[in-house]
Amino acid sequence: MVIKFNLKSLLPALAVAALAAGAVSDSAQAQQRTVVGERYVPTIWVDPDGCEHWVMDDGAEGYMSPHVTPDGKPVCRRGQLCGMMPTDQFFATDKHYINSAGRARLQQFFNKAKPGTRYFVIAGHTDSRASDEYNIRLSQRRANAVAQVARSVGARIGDIRAYGERDPRVPNTSAANMAQNRRVEIYCVR
Amino acid sequence: MKFFKGAAALGLILSVAACGEATDKTRDRNILDGKSGDLSQLTAGIWVDPQGCEHWIIDDGVEGYLDLRRTPDGKPVCNSELPRNVATGPFKAGSTFADPI
Repeated sequence: MVIKFNLKSLLPALAVAALAAGAVSDSAQAQQRTVVGERYVPTIWVDPDGCEHWVMDDGAEGYMSPHVTPDGKPVCRRGQLCGMMPTDQFFATDKHYINSAGRARLQQFFNKAKPGTRYFVIAGHTDSRASDEYNIRLSQRRANAVAQVARSVGARIGDIRAYGERDPRVPNTSAANMAQNRRVEIYCVR
Repeated sequence: MKFFKGAAALGLILSVAACGEATDKTRDRNILDGKSGDLSQLTAGIWVDPQGCEHWIIDDGVEGYLDLRRTPDGKPVCNSELPRNVATGPFKAGSTFADPI
């Protein structure tokens, strides 16, 4: 198969040979497909949160779209996470009560983060033990408890989210990994 | 006849120059706003949509860009305390182009 890639073909349209499997060999001419298109190679713009966006300018028009992973999460250069509470340090198994020491630590965190933050988003997560429904409810109760502490020091809460076991940081394959997945994430919207 | 040939040639050159194929789409190549720069250097403000979700807004002169703001879990940043349908911040900072609207 011949891949034509000279500059002349760029002007009206760009003929791109299909990337079908095996199409690279000469014998696969039957699978050759011509895609007529114009070449649009983006650059990356990093937003104030540190997350990437595809951006292109073809003269008068500008185009932008978020750079995301296949599961829809933004691709960011620095951790956008502003607080991560390992729940083992704050909650007993299956409980959502925060003791006074934990409460004091949280209040300290929110007081420190408050000046530069317009509002906080709290997201609760669990490991994969127990049922999905149970874990959603547990993570909701724990996220609510954290939000309550935040409000007690005057922090504004934008949203409370409960993921249960549906968004693990690491696979639930060991005790250490499960501990990593038991967490409440705090996002600071600045 | 020669004149016509010359005119045709000139026309061709001009048309090619005008279309001057924007093969590098990673730069602001607008001649109207008197600047061109790498698109990674854009300055954004925040626009809040009618539902209260935040978007990055950039006015780069002739071009405008708008993209959803997200938290790390991929969800939109909503429940904004900023007013709806209003853009705030330095989103026109990248432009020297007089923008009457």
